[in-house]
Amino acid sequence: MTTTERPLVLPGDPISPDLIPSSTSKPLRLGPGLRHVPPSDIVPVVAGQLITNHQKNSMWVEYNNNRYIPTPGDLIIAQILRSGPDLYFTSISPYTPPATLPHLSFESATKKTRPQLAPGALVYARVVLANKHMDPEIECVSQSTGKSDGLGELKGGMVFDVSLQFARRLLMAKSKEEGKVEVLELLGGEGLVFEIAVGRNGKVWVGGEDVKAIVVVGRALRETDEGGLGVEAQRKLVRRLAKGMK
Amino acid sequence: MTTSNPTLAIPGQLLGSTSRYQPGPGTHIHNHNVHASLMGTVHIAQPAKAPGPVKRLTKITPAPAPAELPTISVTVPTRSAGSDPAGQKKREVLPEVGNVVLCRVIRITPRQAVVAILVCGDTVLDAEWQGLIRVQDVRATEKDRVKIYESFRPGDIVRAEVISLGDQANYYLSTARNELGVILATSEAGNAMHPVSWKEYRDPETGLTELRKVAKPY
Repeated sequence: MTTTERPLVLPGDPISPDLIPSSTSKPLRLGPGLRHVPPSDIVPVVAGQLITNHQKNSMWVEYNNNRYIPTPGDLIIAQILRSGPDLYFTSISPYTPPATLPHLSFESATKKTRPQLAPGALVYARVVLANKHMDPEIECVSQSTGKSDGLGELKGGMVFDVSLQFARRLLMAKSKEEGKVEVLELLGGEGLVFEIAVGRNGKVWVGGEDVKAIVVVGRALRETDEGGLGVEAQRKLVRRLAKGMK
Repeated sequence: MTTSNPTLAIPGQLLGSTSRYQPGPGTHIHNHNVHASLMGTVHIAQPAKAPGPVKRLTKITPAPAPAELPTISVTVPTRSAGSDPAGQKKREVLPEVGNVVLCRVIRITPRQAVVAILVCGDTVLDAEWQGLIRVQDVRATEKDRVKIYESFRPGDIVRAEVISLGDQANYYLSTARNELGVILATSEAGNAMHPVSWKEYRDPETGLTELRKVAKPY
């Protein structure tokens, strides 16, 4: 991914035309934070860094906020609030209407063999429907293939809150180079055994056998996020925590 | 007839028994009696065929069939001069089963769309009645795979048919015919859209299409 300069933009700032990737073959794709005002204006609606990708002919604004807005296709961690007829009511972000998760939306679930989730249980799910007119809907099985692909109930473990940008960095394909997040690999290198599920709504679930390992991982994640630590600082943090464990 | 018929009636006034009169507009039945519902003048319409004596084999004569009873009705006289006593003020029109109505979508949920009924037939209603379009009444085919978000949006004007008078809060409506569905839709950008097919509307300014259950234009 080739990225050029990343200017800071404020809502309503004009964007100079030389920043807009102009490829004649592909249509220009606008990501989050930008709005197209016909006929030819592109206006940022949030404050952040303007990122352009000339290969994919797309541009978006990278901004950090703490309010998650559901989008179809996102993987999130949801908590079951209660069970209704044919569906569970789940919370994906606080102070918002609950998202609905159908009872049969799990891998190979029928009316008799479906998983019974109690209030307070955690699920790793994908957002199906999210628009401004209706409450969001999530699913734990892929609609087309019928397989869960890792979605479903998260048993045991603990959930930690992180900022949305940190969750996005963790979920990047090349989180080490692009997201500058190495802390998880380093902790694994120190010999801790744990498993991770990252939700785009700012939640990270850490599971495993060893409670101390889970707590250490959670602390490392929180300190990396709140401190805005770079790769070098992450290494120092991991060394300090590993020493504290022994 | 032993009792004299009152010419002026107030709501609740006893007009006669159901064995003697059939209730018409402006009256209702309570405890086998016909009472007035409105304040106005009483009119009795004689039935088309007067019940005459019929030769019967037995002496037991059945009670007159309802079609043979005179119809008693209460009408509110109009204020304009020169109106005939039987002239009726334009009465409030209520949607009946089978009427085609125009309504505006208020709210959508995954199982139904809540609408406000604005026009019944050709008459604009004084009060807005609330109606429901359930997800299985949106289309005639593939009823279980209907997505409300791809059929209606809040603010759309929909032509629908009343299928049931429903309960205290809602009429039940259906759009399961070709000529029923969304007739006026506004895009996300705020422009009025033109229909392109049975399931798409298109914004002429931005060129984006949105999914709706489109009514076939006449």
